[in-house]
Amino acid sequence: MYDFIEPVIFGLLSIGIIAAAGCVVLLRRITAQALLMAFTFFCMAGMFLLLGAETIAAFQVLIYVGAITVLILFGVMFTKQDERAYALFFQRQTPWAGAVVAAIALPVIILAFSFPDGVPLAPGGDLIPLATSLFGDFAFPFEVASVLLLAALVGAIVLVKRDDDEEPTGPAGEALP
Amino acid sequence: MTVPLGAFIAVSAALFFIGAAGVLMRRNAVVILMCVELMLNAANLALVAFSRRSGSIDQRGSVFVVFVFVIAAAEVAVGLAIVLSAYRNRPSVDVDGARAMKG
Repeated sequence: MYDFIEPVIFGLLSIGIIAAAGCVVLLRRITAQALLMAFTFFCMAGMFLLLGAETIAAFQVLIYVGAITVLILFGVMFTKQDERAYALFFQRQTPWAGAVVAAIALPVIILAFSFPDGVPLAPGGDLIPLATSLFGDFAFPFEVASVLLLAALVGAIVLVKRDDDEEPTGPAGEALP
Repeated sequence: MTVPLGAFIAVSAALFFIGAAGVLMRRNAVVILMCVELMLNAANLALVAFSRRSGSIDQRGSVFVVFVFVIAAAEVAVGLAIVLSAYRNRPSVDVDGARAMKG
């Protein structure tokens, strides 16, 4: 009786994803772009729920909607965003880039629709198979990933750290009072 | 009725190409980072769709999604650090002006 609900939810989520992602590419207001990116990630978490992957959906909300959006907003706030004239956006390579991407994208998207349907959804959630694989066969890559995160943490701190012998300057290079 | 697998893959491909167009067309470094995140997330959707609908018992595609999460977090942290340290030398996030990377 409620068979129509799943395609309707899928349609709403895909419209939200594609419209918000298109606005991220085309808009010129950087804070709105960051928040629309968070909305795209949130709709993607709904897609994961529709596929029955609750654990991945929870990770998506925690990492993408939470952490990465906040990091991007920090980057937006720390830098001065210059609002240029809109005409400059359409520089020489922009129409070419859009045309090349569209020419590759359209056949791929049309081909993707004809992908043969697999088996219906596996019963049960994805937590137990995910954990069994992650801490069983993939235990060593999991540890390597933690080392990678540590290296990224140290690298990010080293990159933004000022040298102590430098004069303290503002972000634009002007001397601080 | 359930949504066919091809529909998920089509949405994933559309999001990937929207992100690719953003990377090629925009010049703001922070916006380019956002579009790279969109592309990574599109790959995640394809991985989860194949993993959940392939009927495999252990669903290894979801494991790769966890690793993509880790890579994305590390990438955005280091990328923003590079953008901020370049911004300290030359106060702009415009990538066109950063052709000469030598100090």
